[in-house]
Amino acid sequence: MEQSGTSTLLQGAVQDLASGVVSALRGGDHTRSVLPAGTDGEAGDLALAAVRVLGSDALLPALLLRTPPDPAEVAVFRKAVEAYPPRADAAPTVRWSHWGMARTLRRVDPSVTAGPPDEPGTGWLDEAGWQTLTHQLAVLAPLALPGEDCAVSRLAGCHPVDVARGFVRAVRRRDWRQAAGAGRWLTLLPAVPDTVGLASGLDFVELMGGQDPLVALHVQAARLMRSGARV
Amino acid sequence: MRSDETVTQELTGIQSTDIEAALDPVEADGVYRDSRQCAALALFTGAGKLLLSPPTPRPKKG
Repeated sequence: MEQSGTSTLLQGAVQDLASGVVSALRGGDHTRSVLPAGTDGEAGDLALAAVRVLGSDALLPALLLRTPPDPAEVAVFRKAVEAYPPRADAAPTVRWSHWGMARTLRRVDPSVTAGPPDEPGTGWLDEAGWQTLTHQLAVLAPLALPGEDCAVSRLAGCHPVDVARGFVRAVRRRDWRQAAGAGRWLTLLPAVPDTVGLASGLDFVELMGGQDPLVALHVQAARLMRSGARV
Repeated sequence: MRSDETVTQELTGIQSTDIEAALDPVEADGVYRDSRQCAALALFTGAGKLLLSPPTPRPKKG
């Protein structure tokens, strides 16, 4: 399907932002200046939208590496949360993404005094097959954080074999983003079958799809979490 | 004829629908590898592990 110019620009901005996050997660030079410094003008609008699309992962280095986030980055993140709330009829993934950002903001910004937002619910996944479940979980991979409980993570925890099956399916379909997102979830789930070969699988996903920064981000996050990184 | 500025404005005019579309993507079409690529995958995983062995299908209901 042909994409609009706006959507192409947005995807490019998201990939640029994800590249910065990956570099920071790998211990690159700019562990703190991941987010754009300013958000004025049209370029700023694009950057802000990219932060909203990348979601909580925009501040993932601060969460997983336990480095104090730069106040300017937190301000941009907060602006993205406030500028793009989900519409009333938004898809569940959109609502959960925003919920995850609000949770992250509460963690990194002491000035946020509002209580935790209500969870959007997981009813749309109640009857989902393992293929759909894995796809939706992969889209919501920014919620896959160690020690961070929510209804989505609890639901994922009840379906380790389904997610494992979905991970294998994604690899075989060469859907590297879905495979990376599912692999990230699998690092957190109990009772994942050993036969999945998760470590080798993540290596393979990175080898085949790692040129996509969003793939690299989830693989790197999974590796950090497998090595014991906590939020 | 539209000015460059107008075009730029249109291109960068991010709408919430653009963001929501990015946050709710449809599943990408699958591209299955051929047998040679499958063999490469088996070699990569090494010693019989495992990506070519998805979990056993669940029994059908009913």
